[in-house]
Amino acid sequence: MLPPSRSVASDAPVSACAFSRDGKTVAFALGDGRVRLLPAEVKDAETAPQDPVHEGAVLSLIGDPLNDGFISGGDDGRLLRIATDGSASEIAVQRGKWIDKLAAHRANGTVAASIGKMALVIDKAGGVREFGPHQSTVTGIDFSKDGSRIACSHYDGITIWSIGQVVLPPRRFGWRGSHVALKWSTDGKFIATGTQENDIHVWRIAQASDMRMAGYPAKVKSLSWSADARWLYTSSQPVFTAWPFSGKGPEGKPPLQFGDEGAGLFTVVAAHPTAEYVAGGYDSGELQLGDIKTRRSVVLKMSDGSSVSALAWSPDGFRLATGNDNGDMLVIDLRR
Amino acid sequence: MAQAQVPVTVLTGYLGAGKTTLLNRILSEQHGKKYAVIVNEFGELGVDNDLVVNADEEVFEMNNGCICCTVRGDLIRIIEGLMKRKEKFDGILVETTGLADPGPVAQTFFTDDDVKARTRLDAIVTVVDAKHFLGQLEQGDEAEEQVAFADVILLNKTDLVSAEDLAKVEARIKTINPYARLHRTQKSQVELAAILDKGAFDLKRILEFEPDFLEHGHDHDHGDEVASLSFSSDRPVDPDKFQKWMGALLQLRGGDILRSKGVLAIDGAPRRYVYQGVHMMMDADWGTPWKEGEKRSSKLVFIGRNLDAENLKRGFEDCLK
Repeated sequence: MLPPSRSVASDAPVSACAFSRDGKTVAFALGDGRVRLLPAEVKDAETAPQDPVHEGAVLSLIGDPLNDGFISGGDDGRLLRIATDGSASEIAVQRGKWIDKLAAHRANGTVAASIGKMALVIDKAGGVREFGPHQSTVTGIDFSKDGSRIACSHYDGITIWSIGQVVLPPRRFGWRGSHVALKWSTDGKFIATGTQENDIHVWRIAQASDMRMAGYPAKVKSLSWSADARWLYTSSQPVFTAWPFSGKGPEGKPPLQFGDEGAGLFTVVAAHPTAEYVAGGYDSGELQLGDIKTRRSVVLKMSDGSSVSALAWSPDGFRLATGNDNGDMLVIDLRR
Repeated sequence: MAQAQVPVTVLTGYLGAGKTTLLNRILSEQHGKKYAVIVNEFGELGVDNDLVVNADEEVFEMNNGCICCTVRGDLIRIIEGLMKRKEKFDGILVETTGLADPGPVAQTFFTDDDVKARTRLDAIVTVVDAKHFLGQLEQGDEAEEQVAFADVILLNKTDLVSAEDLAKVEARIKTINPYARLHRTQKSQVELAAILDKGAFDLKRILEFEPDFLEHGHDHDHGDEVASLSFSSDRPVDPDKFQKWMGALLQLRGGDILRSKGVLAIDGAPRRYVYQGVHMMMDADWGTPWKEGEKRSSKLVFIGRNLDAENLKRGFEDCLK
């Protein structure tokens, strides 16, 4: 039996979803400029859709690290702070640019955004600083564990910037080709990217050494580190695929693949925020929950033909939000 | 899931040839269609339109060791982003800067699976400035390559040259690329049907674009200039030999071969085999069946630099039964 859930439809594709810091609100970024806010509790009454806050499509969305609202970026070049009542205030704007990648550091209250070749960092007090330009558009952005640095992916590698008061020169780590996604490991030791050429690349920061894992049938656009940093989950496989990062690391080892083969390939994977679970959505619309301890998986939603485009865990790890290209929004309550 | 692929038209042309005029017309005319336009010089267009997207023409080299495998990563990202919008498009136009090589744009549509799933490269349209084209040829490779890549050529600003000079320009264009559809225009005035939704890269429609193969390749030395060569034969093609030959040829000479296409009569096969490529990237498929009693003949075309006619001819003939 499927767990209790809330399903809401829209006529615009979902590009991202996120839970608020307090876990009480879930938000979906939509292709019509709306950020759809819903109560995370699936039994609570559905709220009415809010007016569009962006002029084109909303491309990125995260929970606001400072309060219980959200931060959104759009193809109108605007970065917005969205309150729980749906009202929006502008943090930054650059017409003609897209804001399609966002990251937050909860403890420090900082937000990082990609805007063309630049990275923006917004501090707790609302101060905006720019880092760059990078050699090409920033395609992935993430904070280090302690929040003192950001990493940006672009053509031919990644760049790490210190964002503290002391200005240090950026560090560049090279690997030829186009890097299309970036995630800093939860222990701060590794940075992983997905590349245009169907492989992933991981840098060991302290040693400045790197490794490449190939053999994917498609670009790996979704990467997710387990909470304990022992595993790196990757999309673009028909089963959950985790590279081992405990001990000596993954060099020379195959990835751990587990669970039942789903319909199609994973488009999005999201590690559980605290426990050893992972959720994954497929290009067929199927949704699975995997358990790396038992190496098993369960189907949370059958395939429906619309590619899963967004996936997020609530901070307590009891709820899962997901959206697809069709505009369907789903919140699943996994409490027993 | 099975959305129709949005046709993408690549618009090239030297600086000042009339690309912006053409784009402005497409964006402002009442045609009841919705086109997204990806431009490089934001603000050059006089139209304030949220369907205009700025791109930085970001090219990267693939890791496969081939220097001609260059791709526009920004285009992949933008197309992906456009597909997230609620509104659906009848077409996408990609403008390249006046000095751009159209290769990376075209190759993007051969390379990326997501782009291929959502869009299809429809045609490369090149606007040529009738008054300045011959001079531009002297200034570098760009003007020549833009014509070489074209499926459709707008020979623009014809009102600014004499009939005699126009004929000269047209003749020069034909030596570079005799296979593109050429329209003479003034102020980029052309029926949109002449440039949009042409299916020039559609293997099923490649025959519609079948050039006049009566013109054979010229054997004389072209030096570094771009030229075209075509070969034909009524003898059936051995598929294994052809595959091997073409594969090796593109691997070795893919940098010089800008475009290639062909229709083949494979020995014993009921259907035509059609292919077309940009540099070393290629698409191939079975085309329409041969009709009862129809004469089965194979034809291939190359447009490129330093093409060795004798060598190519021999290579092709070695593939024949």
